[in-house]
Amino acid sequence: MSPAPNGTEELRGFIDVTRTFAAKTVAAIFDGKHPDGDTGKLPAVLDKAFEIGLAASPDRTQPGYEYGIWGSALHQAGLELSAELLAVLAEVCGGIAMNLHVQGLASQVVMHSGRVLPGPLIKVAPAIQEECGLPGYGTLHSPSRDAPARILTEARPAWDGCLVSGTKPFVYAMPGVEAYVLFCRVAGEENWGCFLIPESAAGLQVTPVEHRTGLRACRLAHLTLKDAFIPHADRLDDGNALPLLTRAVSLHWLGIAAIATGIAQGAVRAARKYAAERYQGGTLIENLPAVRMLIAGAEANLEVSRALVRQTAARGPDSPALLRACAIARLATLELCASSVTDALQVFGGYGYMEDYGMEKRLRDVTVLKSSAGTPNYLKQFIFEVAEVKP
Amino acid sequence: MKPEERSLQERIDALKMPGAGRNLNLLGRLFVDRGEKTLWERDTQRLPLGARRWRRRAQQFARAHIRPDALAADLDPFGYDPRPILQIATHMGFQTIMLPFPIGNASLTAYLQSTVLQLAVVAEEFAAECGGLALLLLAHHLGCAPLMLSGHIPTMLRHLLPLYWRIRRGTPETLAFAITEPGAGSDVEDTEGATRAHLVTTACKTKGGFILNGRKCFISDGAIADKVTLYAKLDGEGIESWTCFLVEKDMPGFSVGRREHKLGQRAADASELVLEDVFVPSKNVVGRLRSGWANNRNVLNYSRPVVGAMALGHGRGAFEHTLAFCRRTMLGPKRLIDYQDIQLTLSDMLMSLWAARAMIWHSCGQFRCYQSASATAKVVASDIAFKVCNQALELMGDHGYVHDNSAERLWRDSRLTQIYEGTNQINRLALIEHQWETDLDQIPL
Repeated sequence: MSPAPNGTEELRGFIDVTRTFAAKTVAAIFDGKHPDGDTGKLPAVLDKAFEIGLAASPDRTQPGYEYGIWGSALHQAGLELSAELLAVLAEVCGGIAMNLHVQGLASQVVMHSGRVLPGPLIKVAPAIQEECGLPGYGTLHSPSRDAPARILTEARPAWDGCLVSGTKPFVYAMPGVEAYVLFCRVAGEENWGCFLIPESAAGLQVTPVEHRTGLRACRLAHLTLKDAFIPHADRLDDGNALPLLTRAVSLHWLGIAAIATGIAQGAVRAARKYAAERYQGGTLIENLPAVRMLIAGAEANLEVSRALVRQTAARGPDSPALLRACAIARLATLELCASSVTDALQVFGGYGYMEDYGMEKRLRDVTVLKSSAGTPNYLKQFIFEVAEVKP
Repeated sequence: MKPEERSLQERIDALKMPGAGRNLNLLGRLFVDRGEKTLWERDTQRLPLGARRWRRRAQQFARAHIRPDALAADLDPFGYDPRPILQIATHMGFQTIMLPFPIGNASLTAYLQSTVLQLAVVAEEFAAECGGLALLLLAHHLGCAPLMLSGHIPTMLRHLLPLYWRIRRGTPETLAFAITEPGAGSDVEDTEGATRAHLVTTACKTKGGFILNGRKCFISDGAIADKVTLYAKLDGEGIESWTCFLVEKDMPGFSVGRREHKLGQRAADASELVLEDVFVPSKNVVGRLRSGWANNRNVLNYSRPVVGAMALGHGRGAFEHTLAFCRRTMLGPKRLIDYQDIQLTLSDMLMSLWAARAMIWHSCGQFRCYQSASATAKVVASDIAFKVCNQALELMGDHGYVHDNSAERLWRDSRLTQIYEGTNQINRLALIEHQWETDLDQIPL
C-alpha cells in the first residue's frame, strides 16, 4: 500500500508518481496498432491505478480511499489534487482519465453519504443522467415530473426497499464495475433519492454503446431498470439526496474540465515537438508564422483553461457557489480546449488527420467531452437558473 | 373577427408575413414574396437550368445510393467494395460531369457560364450524405482535371476523350491525382514553399519516354484508380521542371503502398504510391515538359471550390440530422425545436451554411476559376462546416457522438476539408499572393 500523501511535498510527489504511471504504464497501451490503445491491456493498467492509490474506492482498505481521485480526503488535499491528477492522466489518454474520474465520483458520493457498506465494494460508477440530460431546468432542487427536463427514473417503496424503473443513458464506468450509484426521484417524496444498485441486480439491463467517437478506453452503456429491487440498506441518502447530487454534478463537471485541459496539454506538447522536428521547404515548420500562430493560440487557450480549472477547484468541496462555478468551468474550458486541440492538430497537416500521430484521437476525445454531461445550451440555462436560486 | 376575440397565437399568425401583406395596397403586395419554398429549392431555382437539373439528380442519387452505404463504409472501409456505387454513378453520368456535352455530361450552357458549378452542386449533395463516398466518387474528377487544364490537344485526344468515351459507355474507370510527397505536403500547394520543397519523385529521360522513381502519399483513390495524373521533377532540376505524367496502374514498377487509417472520409482510400523504375512513354506526358507547376496550381484553382462544396455538404448533412433530432426529441411538453435557445443555434447554423454556399457559388460564377476566390471559398466553407458540425454534436449532447448518428461521421469528415487541397493557412496566403499587386501592396489608400 502506498503511503497517504498529506503534505504539500507529498502531494507533489504523488503527482509525480501519477506522471510516471501515465508515461510508462498508460502510454504502453498505445502500440501503434490501436488508435485508442489496446483495450486488452486496460484491466492491468487500471489494477495498477488502484495499486498506487490513484483510483479512489468506497472500500476503506484500498490505497486510494483517501487520496485517490475524488477520494475521502477532499478537504485536506483540496479539489486541485484530483483535478491535477486527471489532467496528468488525460495528457496521455483521455479514456483512462475518464475511468478514474467516474470511479472516484461514484466513490465520493458513497463516502459523502457516510454509509458504511456491509460488504466489500471496489468498482462503482455514477448514474445521474436522464434521457433529457443532467438534472436542471428547475429539477435540481426537486426532481419534478412536470419540469421540462423531467426526471422519469423513479423508485417506488416496496417491502423493505424500493422498486426502481426508468432509464439511465450514457453511463461511463470502468470495465468490471460492480455497482452503480443511481440518482432518481422517489414516489411520494419531493426530494431526490440516491441508491446503490449492483450491476448484477435483477431488473437491471446494461446495454453497451460500442461504436462511438472517443473516450473508448472507458466503458459506456445505457442502463434500463424495470422494477429493479433495492433494499433500504442500499439507499445512500437520509431522505434527501440533494447534497449528494450537488456534489456529484459539481465534481463531474470539474473533472470533465480537468480532463479536457489534460487532453489539450497533450495535443499542444505534441504539436510543439512536431514543429521542432518537421522540415518543410528546407526549414523547420516552427519557424513558419502560420504554425507559430496556431501553437501560440492553442497555448493561450490552454493556459486560460488551466487557470479556470484551478480557480474553480480552489473553492473547496463545500463552497456554496461550487456548483455554478463548475458549470461555468465546464462550459468555458471545453470550448477553449477543443479549440486548442484542433489548432494543434492543424500543425501536423495531413499527418494530424491520420491515426498514427494520436492527434485525431485527442480531437475525438475532447469533442466527446464537449457533448457529455450537459450541452452548452443546457449549461447556459443552468448557470442562469442556479444564480437565481439561493441554496 | 375583432383582434380581442382571437387567441394570442391567432393574432401572432395574422401578423406574420406574407399573410400580413394583405393589408397593403395592390402595388405594395407586388413587392411581397409569397413563395413558400425551402431554402434548398430557392437556391436551386437561382441556378442555370443545367446545374439545376444536376442538383436535383445528385440529391436523388445521394439519398438512394450513398446514404444506405455510408455507415458500413465508414465502419469497415477496408472491407467496403466501391465497385457497385462507382458503376451506378458512372451509369448516371456523374463520372463525366467535368466536361460538357457532347464529350461529357455537363450542360453546355451552364458550363459556359461556370466550368465547375455543376460539379460543385453535385459535390454538396454527395457530401451531405457521406464524406468518404463523396470523395471516392469525386476524386476521379481531380485526376482528370490536369488532362483538361493542360490545354494540350494531343493529351486530350489521346487520353481524355477516349477515357470519357469509355466511361460514358458504362466502364467505371477512375483517375487519381498525385502531388503530395512524404516530405512535401503543403509545399506543393504554395508558391514560396515550392521553391524549397524537398521533392523525391523524379523523372529521368530515356529512349521513348521517362523512368519515374519516388513516392507519393495521401493519394485519394490511389488504391482503386486505374490511372494517376502524377507530378515529378526532371532529373537534376527543381520544382520549375515539374511535369505531369499519366501513370497507369499496370505499368511495371508502379505499386500501391500503405493505405492510411484516417479520422474521417474513411470510405475513400488515402494511399501511398510507390514508383520504382516505372517507364512512362512520352505520349503519357500531360502537356509540355516543365508545365506541371502551372498545371497543378490551376487544377487547385478549379478544385478548391469543389472541396468547399464538399465541406458545405458535410455541414448541411450534420444540420439536417440535428434538425431531425430536434424535431423528434421531446423535452418536457415540447419538442427540442420548439425551444427558442435551440432555434437560435439552428438559425446560426443555417445562416452560416447559406453564407458558405453563397461564397462557393460566387467563386465559381465565371468561366475561369481564379486563385483568390477559390482559396476563399475553400477556407470559408470548411471552417463553417467544421463549426456547424460541432454545433450539431453539441445540440444532440451525448446522442451526438455515437456512430449510428450520421452527424458524428460528418463531423469527422468535415475536419479533413480544413487540411487537404492546401491547409487553410496555405489558402489564406494564396489569397494574399493573388491579390498582392492589385489590392494590398500597390493600391493607394
